[in-house]
Formats: sequence, structure tokens, C-alpha cells
Amino acid sequence: MKHTDAAPATDIKLRVADLHKSYGNHEVLKGVSLTAHAGDVISIIGSSGSGKSTFLRCINMLEHPNSGQIQLGGEELQLVADKKTGALRAASHKQLERIRTKLAMVFQHFNLWAHMTVLENIIEAPIHVLGLSRDEAIARARKYLDKVGLKDVEGKYPSHMSGGQQQRVAIARALAMEPEVMLFDEPTSALDPELVGEVLRVMQDLAREGRTMVVVTHEMGFAREVSNHVIFLHKGKIEEQGNPKQVLVNPQSERLAQFLSGSLK
Amino acid sequence: MIDFHLILEKLPAFLGGADGQPLLSTSDGIVMTLQLLGASLLLGMLLAIPLALGRVSKNRLLSGSVWLYTYIFRGTPLLVQLFIIYYGLSQFDAVRASWLWQYLQDAWFCAILAFTLNTAAYTTEIIAGQIRTTHWGEIEAARAMGMSKWLMMRRIVIPSALRRALPAYSNEVIMMMQSTAVAGLVTLADITGVARRIYSDTYMAFEPFLVAGAIYLALTFLFVWLFKQAEQRWLAYLAPRKH
Repeated sequence: MKHTDAAPATDIKLRVADLHKSYGNHEVLKGVSLTAHAGDVISIIGSSGSGKSTFLRCINMLEHPNSGQIQLGGEELQLVADKKTGALRAASHKQLERIRTKLAMVFQHFNLWAHMTVLENIIEAPIHVLGLSRDEAIARARKYLDKVGLKDVEGKYPSHMSGGQQQRVAIARALAMEPEVMLFDEPTSALDPELVGEVLRVMQDLAREGRTMVVVTHEMGFAREVSNHVIFLHKGKIEEQGNPKQVLVNPQSERLAQFLSGSLK
Repeated sequence: MIDFHLILEKLPAFLGGADGQPLLSTSDGIVMTLQLLGASLLLGMLLAIPLALGRVSKNRLLSGSVWLYTYIFRGTPLLVQLFIIYYGLSQFDAVRASWLWQYLQDAWFCAILAFTLNTAAYTTEIIAGQIRTTHWGEIEAARAMGMSKWLMMRRIVIPSALRRALPAYSNEVIMMMQSTAVAGLVTLADITGVARRIYSDTYMAFEPFLVAGAIYLALTFLFVWLFKQAEQRWLAYLAPRKH
């Protein structure tokens, strides 16, 4: 059983505890926690402004939380308060960079490096961050391009591909880091409706393989069918969470019921 | 009337073959212009990349110093800069007594120094502008993959900025080529210098400067073509898809 106290501690891939984040006087995260065991697929849902993307971006320190703890595979990210801003920053660049290599992120707008071909995008970090040889990196890139269902695209530039193809390249780029946990920040929100399916299918395959994923999403179908845990954020707090088949079908809180009636067709 | 005979007779002088000497027996003319241009562009680019990083640095002292440098060298005429370096510095005894003097008394060295500092200033601003407009998402992706700041600069930001700088830089190269014409004023025989020498020998002005102009035009054509090739290669990702 997952998400019970009985789960062995060694099984925990990612633990985020009591994360707070403010922009000036506006507190966007009011103590959000999350624990991901190996193989968990956690969907984070909530209306715009609920803090769900901010929370995800705090996990790999693209945003700086004001307080909280982040642990990856039992290693705690050392954080210190910045004297100027008061927000937390990594005590050691080296540690942050190492943890980031194990926390691959897929972005809403793909964020592929535009001047690099598909292959160059995928092999870049494995070679220069992980220290793989070029041949090893290319072999990895081909394996993961195959996994996301892309053929004959190695020499193409991202701008010459459809959004769905670009996002699948971005997923292959993240996979090539062979991360412990994958973070997805609204991966289908920038896509035309007919391209959403191809990306969701890839993510579903990854979930089936047992990859640990944290997904900020508006796709209720994905949250219900693919994830094993769903977190509903409202105004920077977890309003409700649990098994999606229960939480999304029988919401206990009024706010989630309201949210679902607005987004489920 | 245009004296075509004079043009034909003096044409070899632009390729180092004045007064019946074989071509390229000196570096006068085109070779001198290309030497000055090539050396100053190369050195200018080597200076401009680190300076551009300084220009966009969060360190106020560093970015301010680079700003002051580019402001001075973009804010004054190249000819004034060349005269200060070649004629101006020599009036200080300390300069004449130092080891630098062996270089600073050489017009060729002074011209390359002035041209380098001038083109480096413009190139710094071109590259810094492109670094600043790097898509923030590409920077986030690099950080999220665990790249250090320096690795991200070296592998993502600078290569991307240099490619996007190509169109503006091609302008700088062409402008710089025209600017090398001031080298003649410190005794160097570049293309314009050769034309001036013919003028003072023959008192014919139209023909030598017409030829000089035609050579600059031809060189410009060559540079435009070269940059077009470079853009097709390194900016292919900005072109509309062809399939």
C-alpha cells in the first residue's frame, strides 16, 4: 500500500515538507507537503493562481521558497536564507546541481534549446553534466526518442516541429538524464487539443514503467486514470488529496466539487 | 574624361605591385586592408565575448566598467582614437621609455590596436544584447538539467547569442572594412592609402579613388555572400521549415 505510514522509508524518492513561498506580502504557498514513493504518479490540480506551478518549481529551486525542506532519495537539499531577499537558496551549488540532475523537469512551453537539433538537445546534458561519452549519449538519445515514438527527427530543429513533437523531444531530453523523479509543469497546456493525446500517451507509458512522476495538470482524465495520488491545491494550501478515483469522483470539500464541476465535461 | 590608361597602369599598385614590380611584392593595397581588418576583427571578437559577459554581469562595477569602455569607443570617431594612440601617446616620456614603445611607434601595430578596441566595443554591445534576449525558458531548462552557471553560459547562452548576433555582426564587419580607410592617415598603404599615393604622384583624383571604391564594393559583396552562407548554416533554426 502506498501513502500509508506502513510504507518503508527507503521507498521514498521525494519528500517535500511544509513549503512556504511569498511574493512580497502575498503568500502563494502556505505550507505544502508531498511524499512520492518509487513508482508514484502524483497529479497536482487546482485553479490558476492556486500555487501549483510555483510549488513544482520550488522543488528544483527554480523558485526560491521562504521555508520548507526538500529531500531527494534520502538526501536533504541544504538550504540557507539569502540575506537580501530572505528567501531560501541552496547552500551549495554543487549539491543543487547534483540533485537537479536527478529531478528532470518537463515544461509547459517545452523550453528546448532552439539553436540545437533534436539530437543535440538530448545529448547536451548527459555529455556535459553527467559526463557520458558522446557515443553513450547518442545511444541513450535514440533509445528515448524511440520510447516517445519519434522517428527520423534527430537532425531537425525544434521550431520545425509540431508542439506535440517538441514536447515529446523535451520528455526524451528529461528521460536521457535517467532521473529519480520527473517533474511535469502543465506539459499539455500549450498544445493544440489534437496534440494533447500523443503527449499524454507517452506520459501514461512512463507511469506504467513505474517511473516516479509529479505532474501539475489540467487534464482530469490523466489525473483520474493514470495517477495514483491527486493533490488539490487551493490558495496555496492542500485542500484535499488522496486516491484520484475517490477524490475526483466523490470530493469531500466544497471547493474541489466546485473546481471539478467547472473543469470536468 | 576618365583616363583608362592610368587606371590600367596603376591597378597592380592596389595588389602590392607598384612601379612595375611583380604583384604582391609588398603588402600595399588590398592585402594591407585585409590584414588590418582580419587581425582587428579576430582580436576584437576574442575581447568582445568576455566583455559581453561582463556587460551583462550583475556585478555593477564590472558591467559599469565595460559600459564605460564601450561608451567611449562608440562615442568617439575611430580617427580620433587612432590619432590619440599613434600620435598622442608618443608625447609622454614614460611611454617612450617603456617596453611598449617598440610597438607603439609602429603605425601598423597602432592601427590594429585602435581598430581592435573600436570593433570590440561595438561587438561587445551586439553580443551583450543577444545574451540579454536569450529566451528565459532555455535558461530555466539548462538550470533544471543541473548545469552550472558557467557551463550554461559556455554551452547554451553564448553559442545561441553568437548565432543570433550574425546579422548585426555582418554589418559591423562591413562598417569596419570601410573604416580601415583611415589607416592611410598614419602612413599605412591600405587601399585608400594607395589611391592617395597615386593621387599625389599624378594629381589625378577621380581614377584612383574610383578604383579604390570599386575594390571596397567588391569586398563588401564578398562579405555579404560569406555571411549569407554563415546564416544559412548557423541560423537554419530560425528559417521557415522547408518540408
